[in-house]
Amino acid sequence: MLVAIPIFTVFLSFFDTTGNYLDLLKDTFLLKYLSNSFLILLGVLSLTFIFGVTSAYFVSFYKFPGSNFFKWALILSFAVPAYIYAYSLVAFFENYGTAFSILTFLFGEGDFNKYIPKFDGLIGSMFSISFSLFGYVYVLTRASFIFQSHNLIEVGKNLGLSSYESFFKIILPSARPAIVVGLSLVAMETLSDFGTVDFFSISTLTTAIYNAWISFDDLTTANQLSFVLLFFILLLFVIENISRKGAKYHQNSKGNKPIPKIQLVGGKSIFATSFCSILFFCSFIFPVSQMTYWTIKFPKYFQDINFWSLNMNTLLLVFLSSLFLIIFSFMTNYGNRVSKNKLISFLSTFSVSGYALPGIILAVAFITFISWFSDLLSSIFGINSFKNVFIGSVVGLIIAYFVRFFSLSYNGIKSGYLKINNSIDENAYLLGYSKFKTFFRIHLPYLKTNILLVGVLIALEIIKELPITLILRPFNFETFATKAYSYAAQDLLEAAAFPSLCLIFWASIFILFISKYILSEK
Amino acid sequence: MGYATFLSLIIIIIYVITILKKGEKMSKLIKVISLAIVGLFSTLLVANTVFANEVNVFSARHYDSDVQLYEKFTAKNGIKVNVVSGKDKALQKRIKEEGKDSKADIYITADAGRLGAFQAEGMFQKGASSAALKKVVPANFRSPYWVGIAKRARIIYYNPKTVNPSWNMSYENLADPKYKGRVVIRKSSNIYNQSLVASLIKNNGEKNTAAWAKGMVNNFARKPTGNDRAQILAVAAGEADWAVANTYYLALMLSGKKGAEQQAAAKKVMPFFPNQDGRGTHMNISGGGILKHAPNKANAVKLLEFLLTPEAQQHIVNNTFEYPMIPGVKANKLIAQFGLDFKQDLKTKVSNYGKLQAKALKVMNEAGW
Repeated sequence: MLVAIPIFTVFLSFFDTTGNYLDLLKDTFLLKYLSNSFLILLGVLSLTFIFGVTSAYFVSFYKFPGSNFFKWALILSFAVPAYIYAYSLVAFFENYGTAFSILTFLFGEGDFNKYIPKFDGLIGSMFSISFSLFGYVYVLTRASFIFQSHNLIEVGKNLGLSSYESFFKIILPSARPAIVVGLSLVAMETLSDFGTVDFFSISTLTTAIYNAWISFDDLTTANQLSFVLLFFILLLFVIENISRKGAKYHQNSKGNKPIPKIQLVGGKSIFATSFCSILFFCSFIFPVSQMTYWTIKFPKYFQDINFWSLNMNTLLLVFLSSLFLIIFSFMTNYGNRVSKNKLISFLSTFSVSGYALPGIILAVAFITFISWFSDLLSSIFGINSFKNVFIGSVVGLIIAYFVRFFSLSYNGIKSGYLKINNSIDENAYLLGYSKFKTFFRIHLPYLKTNILLVGVLIALEIIKELPITLILRPFNFETFATKAYSYAAQDLLEAAAFPSLCLIFWASIFILFISKYILSEK
Repeated sequence: MGYATFLSLIIIIIYVITILKKGEKMSKLIKVISLAIVGLFSTLLVANTVFANEVNVFSARHYDSDVQLYEKFTAKNGIKVNVVSGKDKALQKRIKEEGKDSKADIYITADAGRLGAFQAEGMFQKGASSAALKKVVPANFRSPYWVGIAKRARIIYYNPKTVNPSWNMSYENLADPKYKGRVVIRKSSNIYNQSLVASLIKNNGEKNTAAWAKGMVNNFARKPTGNDRAQILAVAAGEADWAVANTYYLALMLSGKKGAEQQAAAKKVMPFFPNQDGRGTHMNISGGGILKHAPNKANAVKLLEFLLTPEAQQHIVNNTFEYPMIPGVKANKLIAQFGLDFKQDLKTKVSNYGKLQAKALKVMNEAGW
């Protein structure tokens, strides 16, 4: 219910008369906004699919130089938020930017600016978002490849399929639920991205909603645009659902033996290694180097940073939010599984759309709702200042994150549950286990990997989260993300480098800490 | 804060009871974790409560130097300054929705258009321009509801190797077809452009300005992209001859804060103050006002007055490269070298920027800007 609230708020007054912002939009830019959003979405989905599935395929089934390194190195791309990627991209390629400095260093003075490719904001956004999000597809697809029943592959071999054929006919189709979950996460994050497109000043549906609602106070138009946005996402889900109608993806729990990896030789191995190297370089080394270069070049920006409190604030938010999210995801998932209650199932389906709502819109919806509710309390029960508990407080931040990331957490746990055959539950009941005991003795240990995976995904999201934190935070409360943003806003990307690096550092620590669980092949 | 603390405690207790009730089945770890949460929340709430002598600032300006200034204020007056910074409109939304429960005392933002628009919504109370401030701040840059803290000019930049503007060149001239493909400026969504175009609408009328906007778009060297500094760099790199950008961006590059390459690039570009034989160069302000429900109004007045003392002004102009708001304070030498005796547009009241903002955006959008 909690998660559904902002969505209801958005739909509130949906059928009201139109304000003037829509007229302006219709006449001029509405189509452009729509096409921008659509182009970015299309670009990002294709890129993340290619990056994620290809790299997952290579590291799961083959051995090649560096394959063990890339296996975990590729997830480090998660540590770099799209907006920080965008900062690096602009800084590197702009006139007299880092690329210019490098060329000057190598070849002496010269007029290099015209040879440095300039990024259109649209392309820039596409690349920034793709490189920072392909990890979703990679991790989920890889997990699915690894746990793919060995028998299936054997069947393929026995049928005499080539490795290409078995990839397209067996491996890819059976990894489909994982790929789809990955891509839908990517799609939702892309549509709701604000930081990156705002930095590139690209007008998308999300910025149009923001402008309509916040700049023009035209809630009706904002709602109608939000409706279009949600419709986009709903459409994606529906298409997916139709196309896999009837197919079941339960796997037999036996036969999950690790798949023996095939050693690649010659051209194939060079291709695999270079593909993964380029991907790793672009997604992680490049932004980290740019930020490190700045940190070293402009050491005086260190002093201005209250390092300790930034660390504390960031980690506090991460810890509390992950905990809440995981506990509640279990409750709803388990509830769904045991009760088969239509209402619960409907509510949980509905509430996952919180993820589809752009963070910045969600934050404002949250404020609007809390204010409305608080004023109601104050007029009926005389309870004052209720809203101060939730607006401008850590409690409020955590609830807003909860609404935002519930889908991530819920789906992550759900994908684990999908793999636990219902017959296991039934066997447990036959053994006289209660529902709770089944949960704690069987589901929990079984889903350990999923919990860790989800926990870290949430942690990463929250470390990187910007718009909600920015608007709902208490006084004098900075995280690495808000600090980096605030420097970027005063056109001092150089100073944003250090908080960005810290952010990437912490995110990487989280990733490495659990990488052995994510990458476990047992 | 009493109620707030009380309510949060109740919520936490309910939460813990729910957890513990199910706890017979839960592992010890979860119990420990939930207790830890309670501990953290309580600490947070206590930490958040007390501070009688304070003033709360919502700021859409992100300068670190502003925060240093607030620290000076605290050292001097013993009044603690609490800050939330963020995107302009989002902060305004939060203040509006918090209503009478809002703890915010002062709202500070760049651009008079924003201040004016917020005032029009009735969110400021009178009192920003105290008697002391009226003496030092020119009437054009204040209202009873808000007061300018620093000034900036939105000017033309050119490449001295390729073009040479006549002394009376104007913003209007940039739309001249002879500059086809040689002008860069950022997107229409930017507030500085909206304010500039608003001032053109005020002075030349909507119809003429619409024609001007179309002429500008025809002259664009590239699709608008990047911030003001990117426009200056485009001129330095020879992509265009003319750029429109705020004054402090060039000074920032010249200061070396952005590295030697940018410093060298900045030296290839000349600033130019347009409309000298007419109304003068377009000026804008950073400013602040006292919010309607400010709980610490007296402290808010003190802070605004402090920001307009020579000491604070000197700090601002040296860090942000804006122009000082009060007489007797010298602009930073990187700004002063452009010349300080140019004619500023004091005729067009900055409060018009807010009123004409929507029209300005419409004019630009329709021109395909």
